[in-house]
Amino acid sequence: MEMGRDLALLAPELTLAAAAMLMIVAEMFRAARLVLAIGLAGLAAATLLTLPMLSVDATVFGGTYRIDLISGWAKLILLPGTALSLLLVRAEITGRPREGSVQSLVVLVTLGALMLSGAGDMMVVVIGVVLTGLGSFALVAWPRDDAATEAAMKYLVFGAVTGSVMIYGLTFWFGGTGSTLFSELGQLQGQTLVTIAGLIAIIVGLGYKGSLVPFHFWAPDAYQGAPVSIAAYLSVITKAAAFFAFAQVLRDLPRDGGWPLALAVIAAATMTYGYLAALVQTNLVRLIAYSSVAQSGYFLMGVVALGASGFAVPGILVFAAAYVAMNLGAFAVVLLAGRDLGDLEGFGRTRPWLGAAMVVFLLSLTGIPPLFGFVGKFYLLSAAVEAGYLWLAIIGVLNSVLALGVYLRLMVPMYRTSSTEHPSEVGAVLTQGTVVVTVLATLLIGLAAGILPGP
Amino acid sequence: MPLLTIATFLPILAGLALMALPDRSTKKAHTVSIAATGAVFLITLGIWARGIVAGDFAQVEEIAWIPAIGAAYRLGVDGLSLPLVLLTSLLFLLSALYSARIGERAASYVVLMLMLETASLGTFMALDGLLFYVFFEVSLVGMYFMIAGWGYEERQRAALMFFLYTLVGSLPLLLAIIGLYLGSGTFDMRVWVEGTTLGGLPAMLALIAMLVTFAVKIPAFPVHTWLPAAHVQAPTAGSVILAGVMLKFGTYGLVRFAYQMTPEAFAQAGQVILAFGVVSALYGAFAALAQSDLKKMIAYTSVNHMGYVVMGVAIAALATEPRIRTIALDGATLQMVSHGLVTGALFFLVGMLQDRAHTRGIGDFGGLLGRVPWLGWAFILSAFASLGLPGLAHFPAEFQIFLATLNGMPWGLIAILAIVVTAALYLRAIAGVFLGEMNDKWADMPDLDRREKLVVLPLLVLTVLIGVAPGWLIDMIHTTMTGLGN
Repeated sequence: MEMGRDLALLAPELTLAAAAMLMIVAEMFRAARLVLAIGLAGLAAATLLTLPMLSVDATVFGGTYRIDLISGWAKLILLPGTALSLLLVRAEITGRPREGSVQSLVVLVTLGALMLSGAGDMMVVVIGVVLTGLGSFALVAWPRDDAATEAAMKYLVFGAVTGSVMIYGLTFWFGGTGSTLFSELGQLQGQTLVTIAGLIAIIVGLGYKGSLVPFHFWAPDAYQGAPVSIAAYLSVITKAAAFFAFAQVLRDLPRDGGWPLALAVIAAATMTYGYLAALVQTNLVRLIAYSSVAQSGYFLMGVVALGASGFAVPGILVFAAAYVAMNLGAFAVVLLAGRDLGDLEGFGRTRPWLGAAMVVFLLSLTGIPPLFGFVGKFYLLSAAVEAGYLWLAIIGVLNSVLALGVYLRLMVPMYRTSSTEHPSEVGAVLTQGTVVVTVLATLLIGLAAGILPGP
Repeated sequence: MPLLTIATFLPILAGLALMALPDRSTKKAHTVSIAATGAVFLITLGIWARGIVAGDFAQVEEIAWIPAIGAAYRLGVDGLSLPLVLLTSLLFLLSALYSARIGERAASYVVLMLMLETASLGTFMALDGLLFYVFFEVSLVGMYFMIAGWGYEERQRAALMFFLYTLVGSLPLLLAIIGLYLGSGTFDMRVWVEGTTLGGLPAMLALIAMLVTFAVKIPAFPVHTWLPAAHVQAPTAGSVILAGVMLKFGTYGLVRFAYQMTPEAFAQAGQVILAFGVVSALYGAFAALAQSDLKKMIAYTSVNHMGYVVMGVAIAALATEPRIRTIALDGATLQMVSHGLVTGALFFLVGMLQDRAHTRGIGDFGGLLGRVPWLGWAFILSAFASLGLPGLAHFPAEFQIFLATLNGMPWGLIAILAIVVTAALYLRAIAGVFLGEMNDKWADMPDLDRREKLVVLPLLVLTVLIGVAPGWLIDMIHTTMTGLGN
């Protein structure tokens, strides 16, 4: 009886898991198109199954996995985002060996991302981190050249170390509460040392996934070594999942442990460092990698305000949705334009529509209204102010200026006259389709923000 | 009929329609532009005909937008915003007429112009804090691309400076808006303008944030440095819109946000704000005197004229007598409109001169009045208006501001010195360009053609009309300002 209810609530996850298995089977027959079709169908079905469950607030399997606002919206954000990533993967590596393996790994990693987003228990977080991690290492290593291998190696070592630290630190929380459930974390009230030990573990483990400073070192290398589509995927899906997991863990932790201040400092450092580093990059993928490090700092503003502002959870969700759309879109344009900053020279003049789309993505990443990114940033800033972190909001606002500097470095050359050719490539249709979907989301969802979760 | 919404979104819809057309020829683009801005002008006349009410916003249009946070799509007008709305729609129509000669990527140019018109009208009519900010920022983006795409030689740098400066400037406003929201639980500006949302330190912090934003936009000394650079590099229509419409965002915000939403803090800081106004007025005049480039000179006189507006608003906050406060606000608002008309005309005329001569240096000309009498007399009339000659548009506005200053804070009257300086610089410019020995280089310079006359004449007529009989406009402004002054 109980089991039946649990399984019904888990329908989207189970669907996706089944799809991933079938994809692997299809890959055994080297049927890349079939793999893609199964993946897209599975993602679509899982998304549809999520829709009627948005208002559910329940837990399954003894409280270890949560079906709530966060995990519901996480599915609505991550599943379509994964579908778009699959299209980009298809566009970039179509016909190359083991294309289907890449597709199946992407879906498996998304499954791990869903586990993180719904985690109600320390062990589920660990499983989520490992599942997303293992798949990601393989995805980064896929090109099998030196750069990719090195990047994957760094990523793996970083992941192994932070993962161990996390598991070790979580044992303190288990010792303090006698339970692995996050809902029991309230018992830590007063046990400052234990709280801090576990907190450091969570910050290290999830901060690595979310590429927070100083755990971000792997990100630019991994994005640069991996195929562009994989970089796009990793930069949005696993990162957003990390912040959903942050929200699941920390919303139960008493705020008097001092963690909001610690995270606020990390948030400020992350956004500032990310944009400063992005200012000096000449490789487009690295530039966007550092800019997405900075965006993590904005995500963290919402985490800082958890439990102190009604804007915190909606802020994380809305910004995640916006971030998935605009970052995927920007990467899709990079896929078409080329990996170097010089490749953008004159791009806006020779390809006016794609150029305009890129401008929309970059302005949205800056946080210019009425684009989607603005709505997300607005919620996050409001959350920080309401939680009493006005200084953090001011740093966030000032960083928007740095952000503009970063993104104008892309926009300005796009409208210079230049002789650079911008030919259409194979697979361009799928990529352009992704650009269209993401640009529409960036332009329109911000205007219709009423449909999104609010405080 | 929701005239406000139609007026606001008709331009951008026309722009989108133009983008969707398979044939985006230069001619078609300009036809769409003139038709759309013309229609919007007529609609705003309709809004004017419907009238405003004392003590409240009129013709309010409201639709839920993000109910969870109390943000809604709310538009409305009062005696502060309606004159600016009329000014905006007129200047955009005239800019569209003037720009009809632009051939380079005309369709993109027109789309940007139309987007700017939507953003400008929306900024003045928005009654929702979030919506206001949206329109306010969209106008920045539009103007950035306008300068970067169609400006003169140094346009990239000027556009970048403009964008960075005004974006840095506008972000504090975002924090103030968040503060006002958290203090009231809604984004409804009708609640905020009651002035009781914030008090004490939060109110002062919000005021400082708003003052930073609006001082950059106005622009007031010492954050005015972006203005000459942007103006000199911007295309003519861009300069007209920038000076005529977008500088008014700053002064409008100064009244609507700073003065109305944090009245007590504003009164406390009144002396400081007045000082900034006086310094801006003086500095703008002296800096203009030092210019040899006509466009840069006019740009600096904007700093001067906007300084008077800041003075007027500060006096309104400092004075205790309602009558004086009302006079100061009437004068400040009228000054915004007069500046839009007069400076708009001056930028058009300098643009026309530059189209002919490809230079703007005062020293490069001489004796043009005999050669191009239309251009010359139009410039002379506008220059006289700009220096505050009685019988022309700036006089009634500046007179009221100085009258209120005399009654409220007499020390502020040192700003009158600026009028003398402006008179000197305009006479010097007129003498240098239009009088004296004719430079043979320009012997075959053509006078204004029919289209150019059509662009300039309405502005000149209004300049004289407001100077001679300002009653119709002041009455409209006064309807609202009596309420604000009390």
